[in-house]
Amino acid sequence: MQRFQFYNPRSVEDALNFLAEKGERSKIIAGGTDLIPGLRLEEIRPDFVLNIPEINPFRGIKEMDHSFWIGPTTTFTEMVESNLLSRSFPALVQSAASVGGPQIRNRGTIGGNIANASPAADVLPALLAHGGELELQSKRNGKRIIPLAEAILSPYKTCFRSDEILTGIILKKLELGTRSAFEKLGRRKAMARARMNLTLLLRLNHREEVSELRIVPGAVMPVAKRMDRTERMLLGKKPEPLLIEAASKTLAEEMVEVTGARWSTEYKIPVLKNIFKRMMKQLLIV
Amino acid sequence: MSKEPGKTLLKMKVNGKAVEVMVNPTWTLLRVLREELRLTGTKKGCEQGDCGVCTVIMDGRTVNACLVLALQTESKEIETIEGLGTADQLHPLQKSFIKHGAVQCGFCTPGMLLSAKALLEKNADPTLEEIKRGISGNLCRCTGFVKIIKAIQNVHR
Repeated sequence: MQRFQFYNPRSVEDALNFLAEKGERSKIIAGGTDLIPGLRLEEIRPDFVLNIPEINPFRGIKEMDHSFWIGPTTTFTEMVESNLLSRSFPALVQSAASVGGPQIRNRGTIGGNIANASPAADVLPALLAHGGELELQSKRNGKRIIPLAEAILSPYKTCFRSDEILTGIILKKLELGTRSAFEKLGRRKAMARARMNLTLLLRLNHREEVSELRIVPGAVMPVAKRMDRTERMLLGKKPEPLLIEAASKTLAEEMVEVTGARWSTEYKIPVLKNIFKRMMKQLLIV
Repeated sequence: MSKEPGKTLLKMKVNGKAVEVMVNPTWTLLRVLREELRLTGTKKGCEQGDCGVCTVIMDGRTVNACLVLALQTESKEIETIEGLGTADQLHPLQKSFIKHGAVQCGFCTPGMLLSAKALLEKNADPTLEEIKRGISGNLCRCTGFVKIIKAIQNVHR
């Protein structure tokens, strides 16, 4: 590891002051499960490492009037153990539960998963499907809120400025009756890097027509995004088996448009179609 | 302790005892445990968080000591395998591992025991599926896991 100085800020203000001065030469460390291997391989060579897990206002999960607030250093284990989140965002909790093994979930954080912006991040697609927003703060510009969908520019690259810290994740409350599901496919059951995952969010109206649908495949694209064309195919219609079958084809096409044809495409197309159909079926039974 | 250039004083608790040690900012908890405190029961394996042989318990939760910077453990309580029973008075899990033949080469054993301990502290009577999930961050290349799982299931029998 290349030498760096370690700084343990006492407060949010202390951390923001530090970044205002030294942000360009710094890396923020939360759980460190992604950062430390990067430091060890010298893929990243910061002069300063800013340690944020001890900053209390960055922790916890709060329910507000119309939304939930998740502190950036909330660990995956804390998300899985949260009754608030389990009740309101089951797919998000399932995605957190699919991260690594217990040791990684005990340390890794939601904010770190976002800031690291790995294409295989487990929690990002679920957060995107839920329309997550990020609260960023800097000494110079104060607070700004941006949609997660705009925050991740390319693999491992976010739009965060060097003097900014992710200070919270905001999830709007979903309308009553919204169902959600998450599934991950890895090479083995535990500890696997996602080969593919899929988050679905579905709501039907009183006529049993699709009134809302969000589809986000993860780990197959450089940056996870909603598959709008497939979503529109089903919107306002009854989700009959034939339509779902057709939608699964469109979904696979939409994915390939983003990824281009690769060696693994032949495998991924049928797998994505089948996972999609299976999850739709499960959501429609509920 | 003399002041050394570039090093910082770290205060934490290891196996119930207060510890003060001068550390380099680049050192991991694993390095401090093994090379400064000479607690070599915590093993060094993949150093990427995949194998779990460096598992220790920090403030009640298992972590990979290779993925924690030493300075991140300021004021924390660390429990290593050296804190789990003594040679004359083994921990029930250690006895059960021996009884069920859950130790072969032994390299994964310290981490496996600590993951099992953390699991049982939260859930005294885990199902087979819960045990498998609980030790899913610890690889064993000898036993095929069956005997380890039996040892955890039968710890109080």
